[in-house]
Amino acid sequence: MSQKSHLGQLSEHVREDETYYLNMGPQHPSMHGVLRLLLHLQGETILECKPIIGYAHRAHEKMAEFRNYVMFLPNTSRVDYLSGMISNIAYCQAIEKLCSLDVPERAETIRVIACELNRIQSHLLWFGTFLLDLGGITPFLYCFDDREEILGILDRVTGSRLTYSYGRFGGVTLDVDEVFLQQATAFLKRLRKRFPMYESLVADNVIFRERCDGVGVISKEAAAKYHVTGPSLRAAGVAYDVRKAEPYGGYDRFDFEVPTRTAGDCLARFEVRMAEMEQSCRLVEQAIAKLPEGPIGPPKLIKKLKPPKGEFYFAVETARGSSGVYIVSDGSDTPVKLKLRTPSFSNLSSMPEILAGTEVADTIAIVGSIDVVLPEIDR
Amino acid sequence: MGYVTSIAGGFKTLVTGLGVTVKELFKKPVTLQYPHEKPELSPAYRSLIKLIRFDELGTHDCVACMQCVNICPSYCIKIEGGKVEGIKRKRATLFEVDFALCSVCGLCIDTCPTTTLEYSRLYDEAGYDRNWTYDLLAEYRDYEPEFREKQREVEAKEAAEREAKKEAAAKAKAAAEAKKKAAEKTPEKGDGDKKGGDA
Ligand code: SF4
Ligand code: SF4
Repeated sequence: MSQKSHLGQLSEHVREDETYYLNMGPQHPSMHGVLRLLLHLQGETILECKPIIGYAHRAHEKMAEFRNYVMFLPNTSRVDYLSGMISNIAYCQAIEKLCSLDVPERAETIRVIACELNRIQSHLLWFGTFLLDLGGITPFLYCFDDREEILGILDRVTGSRLTYSYGRFGGVTLDVDEVFLQQATAFLKRLRKRFPMYESLVADNVIFRERCDGVGVISKEAAAKYHVTGPSLRAAGVAYDVRKAEPYGGYDRFDFEVPTRTAGDCLARFEVRMAEMEQSCRLVEQAIAKLPEGPIGPPKLIKKLKPPKGEFYFAVETARGSSGVYIVSDGSDTPVKLKLRTPSFSNLSSMPEILAGTEVADTIAIVGSIDVVLPEIDR
Repeated sequence: MGYVTSIAGGFKTLVTGLGVTVKELFKKPVTLQYPHEKPELSPAYRSLIKLIRFDELGTHDCVACMQCVNICPSYCIKIEGGKVEGIKRKRATLFEVDFALCSVCGLCIDTCPTTTLEYSRLYDEAGYDRNWTYDLLAEYRDYEPEFREKQREVEAKEAAEREAKKEAAAKAKAAAEAKKKAAEKTPEKGDGDKKGGDA
């Protein structure tokens, strides 16, 4: 009965045709965070799927309207806690662009290193949990071992493992030292050695391939329709990466590729992410080699900011896709409206179309493969 | 036939995977046996904020300027204070932080004009009640009277010095003026004489 009230806009299917409803989540061991999928099933086949969100809503955007610009900084790494560094720095970069603040080159390069390490970390976590969803526990443990290294390296300079708050307007909080650079270089070396291991453990595995190959195809058209970005879009054959399309934060100074696949299925998304980690490694290496001396930001914390009146949008590439900050300013030190465009939300919105007609057992693989982070969807 | 080869091929990949796990089996374990082993805290470790004790002052240097209170995004700092009896330097008389609310963002540390804030090494925070309000001044209460006494002396000395300087400056100024006047007067001497004569 209460089920009925939740159906909402789901078209009424007569029960005598032996269809039924299944709630996947919000408390489900394989659901990432508190996503709830209401599945309408006929036997094992999904007729309709409705994602129900809102369980992790914390009103970040509303909070921004009651704080001045600098006070919103800690919120940014809590929106997408797996790309905490990237979102945090993205917000700083947006404000810097809006207020025409200068960023010293050293700070910019440090940001690239930190963001790319963060991206690798996020992909590693995705890799582990995706495999866990598919029933493979071992790779999860191995990549958490690698991920732990990154967290340790970033923890050493930022003092935090996930919610970094490392960026400041015009720079970063703390400078990196020789040890950090050594650790990062050593880590890259180690990770490069691990890739073949992952390859033989996972990518070649027959069970893994059977479960991913041709499953959950997001076509180019569907991706465009739902504004799917990130690895899911690139797996469909569109080489769109904000870092290349609209270079920001000094990414145009570095040499990297945008890996793409054309199949658009789970396997393609997996391959794109693995290839992206490789590219991120390259970026970190170049950034370490290029790291100039100099200041890491303005000598004093910039507290009072009064951006010019108007609307402003700035996007970056997080591990999940294009993430944007949209600011409406009335010229005061508090935003009138601050909207965050988060990639997981758009990526998830393609799910009803993709999941319709697939088997229930593939749901986890498909939803897992687009890498949703729930707090980012709910904000 | 294709069926058999695909099974054989698939089986081979499984064995390869198993080979990887077996190899890992003989590596050194990476798990840290918490709580028997504790991780090494990062030098930048962020936790509850605390007041820094300055050697030259013998105590903290919070002047209750309220800048950290105003910038704290979690509204978790409570400070009272201001002018205290006898000394010019303002002092905080109450400094409380609710660690349950703190988002360890570091904005208060970055904004403090006297740089008297830093992160403590508080770790392993867990408990049975919900009161996480810390009194940051607790360890400084004993030093406060001594500090004020000293500060009074320092300020008195400074004031005396300033007074002396002022006096010296005034003297120098007077002297300079007198000199100037004298210099001005010299060419006017004739006039003066004339005037005098007139009188
Ligand atoms: S900013 Fe520093 S000096 Fe000012 S009230 Fe806070 S701790 Fe005290
Ligand atoms: S670290 Fe951030 S949240 Fe915590 S007391 Fe300081 S300003 Fe407030």
